[in-house]
Amino acid sequence: MPRYLTQFFIRFGLIAFTLLSLGPVVWSVVTSLLPLSALTSKPPDLNPLNITLENYSLVLDSSRGLFSGLVNSLIIATFTAAVGLVIGSMAAYALARLNMPSSNKILMMILATQMFPGIVIAIPLFLVMSRTRLVDTHFGLIVVYLSFILPIVIWILKGFFESVPMELERAAAVDGASPIQTFRYIVLPISLPPLFATGVFAFIEAWNEFFFAIILTRINVKTASIAIAEFSGQYQTLYGQMLASAVLASIPVVALAIIFRRFILEGFAEGAIKA
Amino acid sequence: MNTNRNVRLSRRDFLKLAGVGTAGLALSNYLAACAPAGSNTLNVLVPAAPDPAPPGVGQFSLDAFEQWKKDNGFEVAYEAPPWPQLHDKMAANFAAGQYVHDIIYMSGWVPEFADYLIDFTNDLPADLIADLPASSFSTLTWGGKRLGVIFTLSLLTMFYNTEMLEGIGVKEAPKTWDDLKGVAKELTGGGKYGWVLNYGAPEGIGGVASYWMCFLQQAGGKLYGDDGMPAFNNAAGVDSLQFMVDLMEFTDPGSLSYVGINDATNVFSAGQAAMMMNWPFMWKPANDPASSKVVGKVGSAILPAGPAGSASIDGTDAYTITKLSPNPEGARKLIEFYLDAEVQKRQVIDTGWLPIRLSVLNDPEVQAAAPNAATVLEQAQHPYDSYVTPDYNAVTTAIGVEIQKALAGTQSAQDAITTASDLVTEIVKKRG
Amino acid sequence: MQTSNNYNRSRYRLGIWFTAPAVIVLLIVLAYPIIASLVLSFLKVRFGGDGLTFAWHGVTNYTDLFTNQLFREALFRSVYFTVVEVAAVIFLALSVALMLNHPLGRSAFYRVVLLVPWALSPVANAVLWKWIYNANYGILNQSLIGLGLIKENIIWLGTPWLALNMILIADVWKAVPFIALLMLAGLQNIPSYLYKAARLDGANAWQQFVHVTLPGLKTTLVISVVLQSIWALKVFDLIYVLTKGSPADSTVLLNYLSWRETFSNLDVGYGAAIANVLFILMFMLALVYIRALRPRQTAQRDG
Repeated sequence: MPRYLTQFFIRFGLIAFTLLSLGPVVWSVVTSLLPLSALTSKPPDLNPLNITLENYSLVLDSSRGLFSGLVNSLIIATFTAAVGLVIGSMAAYALARLNMPSSNKILMMILATQMFPGIVIAIPLFLVMSRTRLVDTHFGLIVVYLSFILPIVIWILKGFFESVPMELERAAAVDGASPIQTFRYIVLPISLPPLFATGVFAFIEAWNEFFFAIILTRINVKTASIAIAEFSGQYQTLYGQMLASAVLASIPVVALAIIFRRFILEGFAEGAIKA
Repeated sequence: MNTNRNVRLSRRDFLKLAGVGTAGLALSNYLAACAPAGSNTLNVLVPAAPDPAPPGVGQFSLDAFEQWKKDNGFEVAYEAPPWPQLHDKMAANFAAGQYVHDIIYMSGWVPEFADYLIDFTNDLPADLIADLPASSFSTLTWGGKRLGVIFTLSLLTMFYNTEMLEGIGVKEAPKTWDDLKGVAKELTGGGKYGWVLNYGAPEGIGGVASYWMCFLQQAGGKLYGDDGMPAFNNAAGVDSLQFMVDLMEFTDPGSLSYVGINDATNVFSAGQAAMMMNWPFMWKPANDPASSKVVGKVGSAILPAGPAGSASIDGTDAYTITKLSPNPEGARKLIEFYLDAEVQKRQVIDTGWLPIRLSVLNDPEVQAAAPNAATVLEQAQHPYDSYVTPDYNAVTTAIGVEIQKALAGTQSAQDAITTASDLVTEIVKKRG
Repeated sequence: MQTSNNYNRSRYRLGIWFTAPAVIVLLIVLAYPIIASLVLSFLKVRFGGDGLTFAWHGVTNYTDLFTNQLFREALFRSVYFTVVEVAAVIFLALSVALMLNHPLGRSAFYRVVLLVPWALSPVANAVLWKWIYNANYGILNQSLIGLGLIKENIIWLGTPWLALNMILIADVWKAVPFIALLMLAGLQNIPSYLYKAARLDGANAWQQFVHVTLPGLKTTLVISVVLQSIWALKVFDLIYVLTKGSPADSTVLLNYLSWRETFSNLDVGYGAAIANVLFILMFMLALVYIRALRPRQTAQRDG
């Protein structure tokens, strides 16, 4: 295929990718900015003069609990992601490289915990949490979320750690590095892209989780996704307010992506191996 | 190299920080959870507004609520999840068998959770009981006990677009099935429809099976016989469904895909459908210019009569008190406050949810704020049984799915009713 | 020899210390609920005055399942949904990752775009798609009519297979970003000297893709397929918000059926039995995929 044709296809693909990714999101922003009566017109009345920030001011009203929900979600997602990455990467490294006996069986069991639909474990889990008084606490939700994301973190990172060339580790061992030093100064730094990917994964899952948040929280630890869902009731769904709050709630995640973008910008692995 | 060292340092600090933070969080949470929840705190589980909610969750009678708490020395801790998640929460809470709430909002779930609730209605003041429609207790009575109090009169009635009906020279809402079909037919075309409703969800109150129960009663049928077995596999059962099927021709075809009443309401409020049945609450949003294009053009009437007259179903929004509540007295007092005449009045004026007290319903100020109140009172003169049982969800799912097939034209009304009757018989027998 | 032995022993000891925290968290949180759900599936569970009451029910919950038509249909639809969803997600995610790894797609802008759909709360996402698909004023019908592609509104969620496929599309949209991110990380892990060597050998772009990129991505691909299959089999939010299993139960998949029996009909034992069938299904799937990975692992270790 001639070079210009490849370039054409890639440019075309990138445009399609951008449109398809952002299209629905743009529509939710539009919906949050216009009154419902304009949107139920045929065709929709997209006159920019109708734009109103009313939905945003309504959802930011403290009685709706969106702000405290965002704070709770931030606490829970940050801890889940941080703790999950630390203990997840340790376990992944051990299972990938540290000659653990029957590591394959352990890995399979870890993955198997993910295969139980949350719906059936919800009732027994609620029982345990309520006996241990962990319902409606940050700690309780963080521990539960950790158990959901750890298997994923471990599986993904294990795959990547296995691809780190053995020679690098042997070289480090020859230089007198202990296994723990090898892990910290050799393996982790060249695994930043997958670490980033799994970290974002853990953060977003904990940020957005809904079903267990509903069952395991009551009043104090309501998360952002609960606050968002409250706009979708039995008798009325307030599309505008719901999407306004969803837009607000996704800002921290997008900000996270912007702040940490350098971790996915270039291949760290390449650099490390060349050096 | 330099950057590498930075990363190293910050990582170590971060680990420390995470460790300390986790420990701190755990400790503070544990202390908070262990702090005795004081016997003067009432825990109340209700839906988030704008679904029917009490003062403090709904924005009405807030001062009176503060005053009540002060006078009676109670704190009220509201847990107000979105309505669709209420039943899941209740199931988890009740399954654990531990005290969580004193007061719980219920909608058609009283029979299935009857074992967890107490009968407190005999302790309510006599004048309050006298001011409530006697029939409002029927869906809350199970095993001979009255296990709750309804706080909003919520029956399905007819809503119609006066402008559209007048456009074809019709001054009043249709009074019979034939009228309804005739008017719907004339108003269908050019992107507009005679009728719209949410037939997308099979189960529960507000699902397609419950809507059919209106028509069933209008046709003179009933869901169960005196022996508790299904009694709808007859002419009334088939005719009522056949009527819904016939009406489909003049119904927004999207109705089959709308899972919530909200989707159907939006079509009506956009002026695209002439008629629908809906809950009394709809009056307020349908007359709100921000969400509606039919402001001032909304008519309210009782549901059209079938062969046996008009009939409806009951939304049964009620407050109940749990068996494990350490403070049933205080809980009852709070419910009495919710049913206080002044609070009931603010409930309808500020939120659109009708009161249940007859004296308030007949209050001229209330009737001015909710002109449909009179219609709902009139509808209450006709049957409005929702046929709730402990198997309500399973029964309505089974019936609803068969109805959906009939409405989509993939099976006849007779087949749908026969299958549904068999399925419901099985469910009833399974409970034994 | 002595040092090497010491080194290996310290590695082994470290391995146990490193694995312990994660395993302990999993055990503390999940051991009881998982065992409970296994046991529950052999019980007849009822809601009684002070909690649940149990009666031994043998394998009746399971025999009931396999004679139940809805269960069989849900099983079939779950398999269909999973196969199509996973194939679509993997194909699209790989295409996106390749584009974003190409010099033209390296701008930070695209990385952020990639994350946006994923950042949206799933509940809001489901409501958003319901809003987009709405038969009357949904933007999908409005745009298609505006473009002259269709004349009449299409009831996207009103007919059995169409509704299921529309849910599938919404699910794919939400799932692609993470898998694409994983693959991007996988692509960056492939040493560039391999490509250089391939080019020196005269390999064209396609040959480089087949002989360098795909083998280099094998681990990532297998993990993506395993995880995405698990998630596809567990799809719930979208069904709950978009269709509630309608029309006529045609979008009832296994996990939704399990929810309906457990939480709506309160038949907890039966719901648990459905979930356990789902578990067995996933476990077998995972075994098959992971077998597919194994030969390469051993080869690597030997070499």
